[in-house]
Amino acid sequence: MLQIQNLHACVEGKEILKGIDLHIGPGEIHAVMGPNGAGKSTLAAVLTGKPGYEVTEGSIRFQGKDLLAMSPEERAWAGLFLSFQYPIEIPGVTITAFMKAAVNARRKAAGEPEMKAGEFLKLMKEKMAFVQMKPEFAKREVNVGFSGGEKKRNEIFQMALLDPVLSILDETDSGLDVDALKIVADGVNALRSPEKSAIIVTHYQKLLEYVQPDVVHVLKAGRIVKTGGRELIDAIENHGFDQF
Amino acid sequence: MGHGKYIAPPKALYQVQAGEVLELAFVVLPGESRDIDVSVDLCGPGAEAHLKGLYLCKADETVNFRIVMHHKAPGCKSTQLFKGIAGGQAQVRFDGVIVVAPDAQQTEAYQENHNIVLTDEAKVVTKPQLEIYADDVKCSHGATVGRLNEDELFYMRSRGIPEAEARTLQMLSFLSPVIPEGREEEMEQVLRAL
Repeated sequence: MLQIQNLHACVEGKEILKGIDLHIGPGEIHAVMGPNGAGKSTLAAVLTGKPGYEVTEGSIRFQGKDLLAMSPEERAWAGLFLSFQYPIEIPGVTITAFMKAAVNARRKAAGEPEMKAGEFLKLMKEKMAFVQMKPEFAKREVNVGFSGGEKKRNEIFQMALLDPVLSILDETDSGLDVDALKIVADGVNALRSPEKSAIIVTHYQKLLEYVQPDVVHVLKAGRIVKTGGRELIDAIENHGFDQF
Repeated sequence: MGHGKYIAPPKALYQVQAGEVLELAFVVLPGESRDIDVSVDLCGPGAEAHLKGLYLCKADETVNFRIVMHHKAPGCKSTQLFKGIAGGQAQVRFDGVIVVAPDAQQTEAYQENHNIVLTDEAKVVTKPQLEIYADDVKCSHGATVGRLNEDELFYMRSRGIPEAEARTLQMLSFLSPVIPEGREEEMEQVLRAL
């Protein structure tokens, strides 16, 4: 599904990713762990096409296509989703308007007609209930005045609604209490299927207790220094990142 | 310029008497340059004036506002909210003056002017001024000139909203407090072409 080869990327002229190789198959959940400054968020940003990140070498193929040649919106249409570490506030735009625009843009790109209003509202309701979001949030401006936990829950709600093929969760567990963490984890687990994959980017193991990854990578100074199974989570828990 | 019921003529002096309420809306759409020069005198106690303005300009258009809000009597209230977007090499100038006369006690006067520039060549100069000669007043003014927020833009694009549509959504939400009722769709069309 996703093949990253020898990926090098710079931010403001400084090389952050120094040759990443990563292969993710359908149905797999990969954890990318590493200390602060390892390049985890840069990897998430490059995958989603955030402006300001320059790829200087290497390639990324997503479902057979050249991901780096696609705009952020084209990547979303192809089924890529990023749960933001710091979700953005959009004053003046309600969650309903935001998601309706997103759903219909993808349908338009696929040559399908817009979703009927009634059908869309039903879908919204269903997905909000799924992440235990109160119905009144539908009319709230996107992330404006939300608590940290509400913002993360809103990300998982959007993920559930947009039904991506590959989800990237960038530090989705940071700043969450145990209850909010469980809701996020339930959301991710419920979306698991043989076709769908996820990358969980995190610097601590909390979320990985609830969402069990198939593969664990340790990212350090812009390179993957170790790849293994869940035993790596315990090794990091007990001895930190210095051992790698 | 549209000529809806509340759309004000470009040059005028309004005198608002005791207990009266004046409501004015200004709409300047792309394709024209405008000089708008309006003075409002609040002449009698309890008079009110509420002004809203929306302007969109592109290419080499110029839009100039000169608004004088003169509080001449006690207990009057005025609000002003002007918002606009400048693209191309457009030039916008906003001069807004609130004058509070010595015997206009218990005045409430507010003025806001907010602008977005879409290009490096577009230029906005905004100059809100207060001249207050009474001591028991509530007055404030504020002005900003900024760009569309790039983080918001990327967030929307990452959800599959195309760049042009994301920009339109941002502009609509910025302008929404000054869009006259019933003209939301028309504005959306205009913004798509801006």
